[in-house]
Amino acid sequence: MTYAGESFQLDTEILAAIDAWHRSGKAMADGDFDDLALRIFAYQLRYNRPYARYCAGFGISLDALPATWDAIAPVPAAGYKEATLTTFDPAGAALAFETSGTTAGSSGRHFMETRALYDAALLAGFERSVLAGRSRLRYLNVVPNPSERPQSSLGYMMQRVSATFGDGQTGWYVRGDALLVDAFVADARAAIDDAAPTCLTATAFALAGLLDELERRALMLPFPNGSCIVETGGFKGRVRTVERRELYERAARAFGVPIRDIVSEYGMTELTSQYYDAPDSRSAVDGRRKLGPPWLRSRVVGPDGKTLPDGTVGALVHVDLANRSSCLAVATEDLGVRFDDGLVLIGRDGGASLRGCSLDAETLLPR
Amino acid sequence: MSLSDRPARTILRAVSDAAARWTDGDFPPRVRALDRVVQRTGYCEPAVEYAFDALFASLNAADLERAIARELGDVAALDGFVIRGRNRERALPAGRVCIVSSRTTVGVAIVPAVFALLAKCDVLVKDREDALVSAFFATLGEELHDFRNAAIAQTWDGAGRDLSEFDVVAAFGDDETLASIARGLNWKTRFIGYGAKASAGYVGCESLATRRDAERVAEGVARDLALFETEGCLSLHALFVEAGGEVPPGEFAEILARAVRRAAIEFPPARPDAAIAARVAAARDGASFRASQGGFAVHSDAEASYLVECDASAERPPDFLPRAIRLQVVDGPEAAAAYLRRHRVPLEALALDGVRDDLTRFAVGAGASRIASFGALQTPGAGSRHGGRPRIAEFVRWVSDERDA
Repeated sequence: MTYAGESFQLDTEILAAIDAWHRSGKAMADGDFDDLALRIFAYQLRYNRPYARYCAGFGISLDALPATWDAIAPVPAAGYKEATLTTFDPAGAALAFETSGTTAGSSGRHFMETRALYDAALLAGFERSVLAGRSRLRYLNVVPNPSERPQSSLGYMMQRVSATFGDGQTGWYVRGDALLVDAFVADARAAIDDAAPTCLTATAFALAGLLDELERRALMLPFPNGSCIVETGGFKGRVRTVERRELYERAARAFGVPIRDIVSEYGMTELTSQYYDAPDSRSAVDGRRKLGPPWLRSRVVGPDGKTLPDGTVGALVHVDLANRSSCLAVATEDLGVRFDDGLVLIGRDGGASLRGCSLDAETLLPR
Repeated sequence: MSLSDRPARTILRAVSDAAARWTDGDFPPRVRALDRVVQRTGYCEPAVEYAFDALFASLNAADLERAIARELGDVAALDGFVIRGRNRERALPAGRVCIVSSRTTVGVAIVPAVFALLAKCDVLVKDREDALVSAFFATLGEELHDFRNAAIAQTWDGAGRDLSEFDVVAAFGDDETLASIARGLNWKTRFIGYGAKASAGYVGCESLATRRDAERVAEGVARDLALFETEGCLSLHALFVEAGGEVPPGEFAEILARAVRRAAIEFPPARPDAAIAARVAAARDGASFRASQGGFAVHSDAEASYLVECDASAERPPDFLPRAIRLQVVDGPEAAAAYLRRHRVPLEALALDGVRDDLTRFAVGAGASRIASFGALQTPGAGSRHGGRPRIAEFVRWVSDERDA
């Protein structure tokens, strides 16, 4: 089969899995996940040479493939900075997202051959995990504007979500390195006047900056019923660190949104799909479980790369079938614990190189 | 009597005698402190024993007196007027001293506390959970009763004490912590800040003339790396290897990796912490990825208990991870200096092998306050100038009598 034929075949199967869950919540059987993951992996060994070279170091090749998905060698997330990890010529990429800068000052890029997988995975995950039956919302996005920063996966993500699920009056409140607080306040007041249920999306750090400014101005902006807040990106910033519980309580007060309607998203530029707080765990801030869609699985591993027992803290390895045109298995420095009902994300030690969407907004100053 | 009424040599002897008791591995307070320090730091017992031996052995009368004489001219200046140049001068206590110690390093507050006491100051130390300073002060009190009032160690929360009441405040911490402490002081208070720093090493090509030379240097490097889990300002965080030696850098990395594994027998790695283990494993995997794309071989193990890699580019900053070292291959000291500048590594000490003028100039230019041999980086003497600062001079107030003697 040709590269194009193989890619089409795999995309069709991945999209079918996404669609089945999106429409009816249908999970993937273990055998189906295994089968598709191993075929994508073999395909990537054929066409993604840097990844194949890395895997060869572990004795993994097309002649010596792993037997199950959890034995697929994950590429270190830092590998995206070191090489172009694609199965195709990146000159023809439909999407190219830049990984956040780090203390090293270098960033990598995640190229995707098609928008279809990204969009399908994103919209399915957002609709089922965040909207859960909500009608059209007004999106106030305190994230990078994709017209200014097309390389931001977060900006693209919220552009697609707003365009698909929004009421047509989407706002963007990050410009360069500044938070556009006045514009946000004006649009939030308009949404309140219009009784338009609103979705505020922000990185944790940007949300903290916004709340600081609203509190300084003694402003409360109680959104209409049915509104929600989506917090995305990590908490670590070079300037300050904010406790999640404190942040959510302040956000709940400022916007009149119940804690259970503040949802945390966990994703990374190196992945196509996202995790969200499990609905059953949202009544409190602490101990929330993260759930991914059926085509995204994770392992909690020790330094030797072996899967740790449930309840043990370790580093997260993600296997995202929608990463068809790059590397489906990605090893991270993020710490987590697996339980029966989901994943608890612990985050990352402060001294690690900083990653995640928060970095874009960490130095924002109110304007 | 109070300390200010005691002759300086009496105080010095008491300090030295107390420290000598602490050099005995069976001294009960030391045995108890050992357990607590191991608990707090997670370091292996041999590493903490090593730290105790080095610290308390350095507080001997001869070395302390030499350090005082170097800065004050004469120990007698602490007791009365002495002739210094054309004047008669006396070094009086600077007043009340507070020392806010670091969370990581073992007994880091003890040396400045000792010099402050030798200057006859009353000293309060913010002690750590292991109460090491408190235990040592108790021994001081047994040697000389006056120390019971003059040397106090307590624990308190971050903002639990008004530091502006002190005449001198010495603090260890990161830049933010130090800035915060400094903001709370009034202008009359002397502030001595010991910020976050790192140490480096430079292996000249002449030290790689033979495999035997390389092995000797590697032994020292491994010790500097393994001790105290690469956490202190005297830990080795960057290692420059000069190209052109008979033993190429890649081979030296292999020799060093073996030496690091041997060092782990004497000083086993600290208790694994999930976050740190994940970071070292990620660094190892990142280096392995680079190696797979044509870079140097990586040396580590399944547990990521150490990491030795080699890098010819200057793009990556030091990892600042336990027992992790990247050998930066350089053409000469200028490239090493450029690397430190580029990555803004604030240098405390530089380890060298042998004597080369250009490397001494490099150390001075890079901001090092100490040049040491490989293997001795972690064992500064009592008179060693931490952060390039004086030891006792900052705890005294000079009085000059300019009348004709």
